[in-house]
Amino acid sequence: MQFGTEPTSLALLALNASPACSAVTTEDLVPLIALRQPNGFWPAVGVGAAGVSFWATALAVNTLMTLGATPETFGASLDALVHCRPQEASWLVRLRFRLSDRQVRFDSKKYGWPWVPDTVSWVVPTSMALITLGRAKRQGLIRGSECEKRLRLGAEMLLDRACSEGGWNAGNAVVYGVPLRPHIDATALALAALRFHYNLPIVRNSLTWMLNRIDCPSAYSLAWVILAAAAYKDVRSDVLPALDMARDRLATMVEDHRAVEDTSTVALAALALGPENTNNPFEVEV
Amino acid sequence: MSLLTSRRVFGGALLAGTGALAVRQLCSTGFLRDRRRRRSRVAILHEDSYDGPLDRTLIEGLHLFDLNLRGKTVLLKPNLVEYIPGAEVNTNPRLVGAAASAVLALGAKTVLVGEGPGHQRDTVLVLAEGGLEAELRERRIRFVDLNRDEIRKVPLETPFTGLDCLWLPRTVLTSDLVVSMPKVKTHHWAGVTLSMKNLFGVIPGVAYGWPKNLLHWKGIDRSILDINAAVPAHFVIADGIVGMEGNGPLHGAPRNLGRIVLADDPVAADFVCSRLMGLNPLRVNYLAQAAEFLGNGTPERIVHLGEMLPPAMQPFAVLPELAHLRL
Repeated sequence: MQFGTEPTSLALLALNASPACSAVTTEDLVPLIALRQPNGFWPAVGVGAAGVSFWATALAVNTLMTLGATPETFGASLDALVHCRPQEASWLVRLRFRLSDRQVRFDSKKYGWPWVPDTVSWVVPTSMALITLGRAKRQGLIRGSECEKRLRLGAEMLLDRACSEGGWNAGNAVVYGVPLRPHIDATALALAALRFHYNLPIVRNSLTWMLNRIDCPSAYSLAWVILAAAAYKDVRSDVLPALDMARDRLATMVEDHRAVEDTSTVALAALALGPENTNNPFEVEV
Repeated sequence: MSLLTSRRVFGGALLAGTGALAVRQLCSTGFLRDRRRRRSRVAILHEDSYDGPLDRTLIEGLHLFDLNLRGKTVLLKPNLVEYIPGAEVNTNPRLVGAAASAVLALGAKTVLVGEGPGHQRDTVLVLAEGGLEAELRERRIRFVDLNRDEIRKVPLETPFTGLDCLWLPRTVLTSDLVVSMPKVKTHHWAGVTLSMKNLFGVIPGVAYGWPKNLLHWKGIDRSILDINAAVPAHFVIADGIVGMEGNGPLHGAPRNLGRIVLADDPVAADFVCSRLMGLNPLRVNYLAQAAEFLGNGTPERIVHLGEMLPPAMQPFAVLPELAHLRL
């Protein structure tokens, strides 16, 4: 089997949160740290395979921070994340969007993080980068105007890309004049990243949209819903009952092994069903 | 500016211009190995609805091709984008299930269904909502999420994107027979999305992201050509029972076409499907280029095993900027 940064990171977080396991040790983190490339970024899969992934990098760094790894193992990666740029950071690309590529509606001045180099920003990697950099900032691991600018622009980009009915998809809210539908997992990640912005109608509407999707038939999406909604339980009275229902539903789902075949889903489900008082790795402290 | 500097600037510009010309020439299909066979075979089958005897229709249709499937591993690659209630976005699950059973009935050792949706990360959700999960469970057919499969590096022999390699799923590379199962649809960027465009779904999201944005930046037409040259589908079963016209591939209107198209050449399949849609394949950029080296597009090199193309078709509706595609 091929090493994957996402399943490995999620599995480490799940094992650490599990009351049945002893805490993850420094030694357990070695395989993840070993995959970090000299430029500070992680690949999505295996040694030397397929270049770097900003989603994988943000997830790996968030994992290392959550599990108490020494800052030497991820400090350069935080810096690399702050300084990596999507295509829209270039005025030439912004001009192209203004003059020719006009069928997808978005404000190219508001940018976040792409999946891979030489592409534009998308919701999922941007959300994970915001969660990671936000945690690093609170822990005093990064600071400075560039970091503040990227955090602000990233949040603005997410707010700009929200779907008209609430929620987020990969990052295209309107194409050829037609509003596109949100996706559950992308919505959950964006909501986790935007907890500080709960006062905004876009965020509140998106939370409502997400809470109405707890009947979804996928353990992967449902686990993300639980992990994201947990951060909002103190501000909305309908979150706790919805969380209880979602947990019951997910617990039933995972009894069917076909519903949770891949490592990422198993780990996310374990995190979502774990003790509620444990540290949620995707919760931005307010 | 000194004379020396001016000369350097002029020389640099000349070199850049020559380089650009060389790249253009390299992209001309005349430089590529001609992979076209002498004749390609296509069968247009009548089937008015998904409630019909699809298993039998497909077995009879596949018999026309004398395929040797005995002992082989067959990968069916449907087009699954996302589930939109009431919209004909995805290859119909009943047709996918029927194709799996037909292939097994003709002696295949294993049949797999695999797809890597472009925007939706939760493939299980797309399968469940669209009905394919239930269909495959009932028929005991395994599904592979191509977005998260093991990946391997495949060098590119064609220069369209300028990439030197593609990362591709192990399941695609190790299958004996890859069957592209597109939904017959218009596409607001590519013109049409048929068996060749359908292979975008073998590009793994784990390496390229959701969407596979690097390939969009390299050009959709160019990417289609490079992907199809790297992993050509061996066979096509196109879902034209109900297609999509207008603002495809997601928000167009359903269009009853009442056809399933089988072919042993994706280029020939897409030429025939385009004509069934009342659209001119030679005006679809990637199809016109593919017909120069990858497969057959000219009618004299396509043998029809089933019914012939109808003499006139009511063209599929297209967006105004694609009006030039109409026959």
